[in-house]
Amino acid sequence: MQDTVKAWLENGTIDVFLGYKKVDNHPLPHCFTKARLEELEDLVVSPDRYPLEKIATHMTTAKPEVKIGMLARDCTQRALNVLYIWNQLDPEKIQTLNVNCCPSPLKEKADCSYLRPATVGDYKKEKGVNNAALLEQLSEYGQEERLGRWMYEFQKCIKCYGCRNICPVCFCKECSLEHEDLIKTGALPPEIPVFHLIRAVHMAGRCIDCGLCEEACPMDIPLRLLYRKVNDIVAQVFDYKTGTSASQSPFNILGDSVTLEPKPIQLTGTDS
Amino acid sequence: MAGLAAAFGSGAMTNSIAEIEDAGCILIIGSNTTSCHPLIARRVLRAKEKGAKLIVADPRNIQLSRFADVSVNHRLGSDVALLNGMMHLILQNDWHAKQYIAERTEGFEALEETLKAYTPEKVQAITGVDVHDLGKITQLYATHPPASLLYAMGITQHTTGVDNVKSCCNLAMLCGNVGVYGGGVNPLRGQNNVQGACDMGGLPNVLTGYQPVTDAGVREKFAQAWGRDIPEKPGLTITDMVPAMLEGKLKGLYVIGENPKLSDPDWNHLNHALKQLDFLVVQDLFLSETAQVADVVFSAASVAEKEGTVTNTERRCMRLHKAVDPIHNTLPDWEIISRLSTAMAYDMSYENPEAIFNEIASLTPNSYAGMTYERMGLDGLQWPCPDPHHPGTPYLHKDKFARGKGRFHALEYQDPAEMPDEEYPYFLTTGRMFAHFHTGTMTRVSPHLDVEQKTGYAEINPTDAGKLTVNEGDILVLSSRRGRMEAPAHVTESVEPGTIFLPIHFGENPTNVLTDAEAFDPLAKIPEFKVSAVKIEKLTIE
Amino acid sequence: MECKLVPSICSYCGTGCGLLFEVIDDQIVNTLPMKTHPVNEGKLCIKGWNLHEHVNSFLRLKQPLIKTFGRFIKADWNEAIGLAADRFRNIIDQYGPDSVGVLVSAKITNEENYLAQKFARAVIGTNNVDHCARL
Repeated sequence: MQDTVKAWLENGTIDVFLGYKKVDNHPLPHCFTKARLEELEDLVVSPDRYPLEKIATHMTTAKPEVKIGMLARDCTQRALNVLYIWNQLDPEKIQTLNVNCCPSPLKEKADCSYLRPATVGDYKKEKGVNNAALLEQLSEYGQEERLGRWMYEFQKCIKCYGCRNICPVCFCKECSLEHEDLIKTGALPPEIPVFHLIRAVHMAGRCIDCGLCEEACPMDIPLRLLYRKVNDIVAQVFDYKTGTSASQSPFNILGDSVTLEPKPIQLTGTDS
Repeated sequence: MAGLAAAFGSGAMTNSIAEIEDAGCILIIGSNTTSCHPLIARRVLRAKEKGAKLIVADPRNIQLSRFADVSVNHRLGSDVALLNGMMHLILQNDWHAKQYIAERTEGFEALEETLKAYTPEKVQAITGVDVHDLGKITQLYATHPPASLLYAMGITQHTTGVDNVKSCCNLAMLCGNVGVYGGGVNPLRGQNNVQGACDMGGLPNVLTGYQPVTDAGVREKFAQAWGRDIPEKPGLTITDMVPAMLEGKLKGLYVIGENPKLSDPDWNHLNHALKQLDFLVVQDLFLSETAQVADVVFSAASVAEKEGTVTNTERRCMRLHKAVDPIHNTLPDWEIISRLSTAMAYDMSYENPEAIFNEIASLTPNSYAGMTYERMGLDGLQWPCPDPHHPGTPYLHKDKFARGKGRFHALEYQDPAEMPDEEYPYFLTTGRMFAHFHTGTMTRVSPHLDVEQKTGYAEINPTDAGKLTVNEGDILVLSSRRGRMEAPAHVTESVEPGTIFLPIHFGENPTNVLTDAEAFDPLAKIPEFKVSAVKIEKLTIE
Repeated sequence: MECKLVPSICSYCGTGCGLLFEVIDDQIVNTLPMKTHPVNEGKLCIKGWNLHEHVNSFLRLKQPLIKTFGRFIKADWNEAIGLAADRFRNIIDQYGPDSVGVLVSAKITNEENYLAQKFARAVIGTNNVDHCARL
């Protein structure tokens, strides 16, 4: 790993490399450069993920021509695909060093955010939504109960906007969540369920199921599950799996042509 | 602070933030935790979801009330009566920790005597809390150990603030909840380094680590280290400084990183006092309301532009790292103080904050002595940390209280200094909202925070709004015996009928024109921000 | 291109959440929660997430100011420090050290608080030291 990055930096494939470095036993995101190659000895793969792709977009905003390398898990790849589609990053200028998708004992069934399964207590099981649940399991609840359970989760919200702020594919300059006409400001919890549903709708065709939002949520709201639902609808309607390729998205209206035709909606029992 | 020190011997949060998750019961009194300490509210909700019982006692309906097993709205300033009522029932039901009381505490008999009078009926008459609810919260607190008690300014900003804190300590000791993992009496500090400012001797009567200035041995030690004699007489508190300015006894004031014009009670009174000063220096990031009336303003560097340490509410001393250079012609506060000192013929030339920290550690034997920058790393260390091998202390008073035995205080309930009457019929209380901080100097210039709340407002219950024919956004005129201000109405069930809530962050709606500088706790000198009497009218344009 | 993620502690409430300042070419562009911090475990509130915004505010004071005939004029450090030292010295000479007070701060570091009370006690010679913890 170190040798590859060193070679890339030396031969000019990349100008900088985003990875992790241990500082006082804490793996922190770090930008490695040619000027300080000796730091590469400390390059690590961190089980604690940060949105490296988002940092990359901030770097290209400051300097569009910079060539960036980064450690990439499966979720990083998916996020990059979305960012390429939406012209937030240029694939020509990004080099990924693919690493194992989370060094976890749970690897075989994982997806990185299963790394640390949420501790779900009895009260949450009774009133709320289990963060580790699958969409199909939610559909076992009746509609009213399901809404009640989601409302329990939403009313914990402290409106930190962490779900949006950490999201590698949230890049809009103006955000609907801060639009006074859509959501009243100044109150806790924010207007529910509107606040969370507006964000969920905007995640359709965007969310790459990395789970960083849920990890950033101070109140353990099962956001990943919520956004999985909207992507499930996107998959049904457009047969589009977000982030799996860098080709056209059905939501990218700025594209040259719409390549995907909507399919008729099939109302199956999976709506949550 | 004063209350905790009197009861336990140490004026700090007894337990750690992470431990809250493992409590059996959590009692939140006088803290709007989701707005003011959101990442502590996280621990409370996680505890709840894991099965802990949650009790919220607050004059307002706060976000956490929704999740409480029982939530009560006790009348503003009636905390001592409520807590005495709980303790009355604990004794009646024989739920108290008899062995713990006998072995680890003193003063129980006097408390027991006082509590006899606090029958549920009497407590209901004072607090407005239903006898049945009082029974339920008492049962939950007493029978789900370990019980953790969390409080904030809702307990301390009263004329009876010290009594309120002592009552919290009484309750916790009565059930053996102090000195155990997951329990404790936990004041949530409102600012990032209140704990550190106190620990460092930023108080008129103590040097670092609460070493009293009245102790000759302590003065001698510091005189040796500093090469100057230490004055023996305790100095003036901020609450005493104001009258001293008015009397012409205090002529010069050096204000560092504070905005007393907005944070102190009775704005008009303070404004007048500041004008009497011969010389005022203010050191700040912004031209705050106080800096505007200064003679000299020192431009300070921000948190991101310097090194140093801060100590959080759970006594954890942690390092800041410099991210960028100080902007323009600003300097870190430590450099400004060093330069001023040197200009006044006392040489202060430290190479860096680490050198200052090592001096602190060498003079602060029990709490900070074992800490170094290297040992702190990114996790920090929790005091007491008396030697270089000590791992720090997650919870205090484990086998023994810092003062030896925990002290019960027998306390009678007293009315707040000002109660509503015919002329001023509404209770006024003040506090923070989630998107802003303190006097707003930092948050109101942050675009993402400003967007949440751009102006001040006054929360009023729909019943009262109906009586006054006030709609959301109408301008209310609020007046008290001190002054008068205007704010747009926010009609909400968050406040009970008869109560008005004002956030403190907005200089153009300065809440403290209404509050009372004369009403403060006699011992801790904390002003009674949480209770005043006001009248309200709807502003009508003729 | 220089990009750093610098660990620090939130300077709003007393919780003390660990965070990272994202610095690109000497400009703080973002704040991120520190995932492994014992206090906040990778989460922040709205204030913490926007901590960098006050640092970058155009309203920040940029140099010392001295008030002359009721108006502030820009000054350099030697002028401002010199003036403050002279005026405090005069007050002490005329009215004694207890005629000066120092308000330290719950918003500055331990080291700075320590120096501020040392300044009051050793340089001015008074115990008139307090801060706004009560407020």
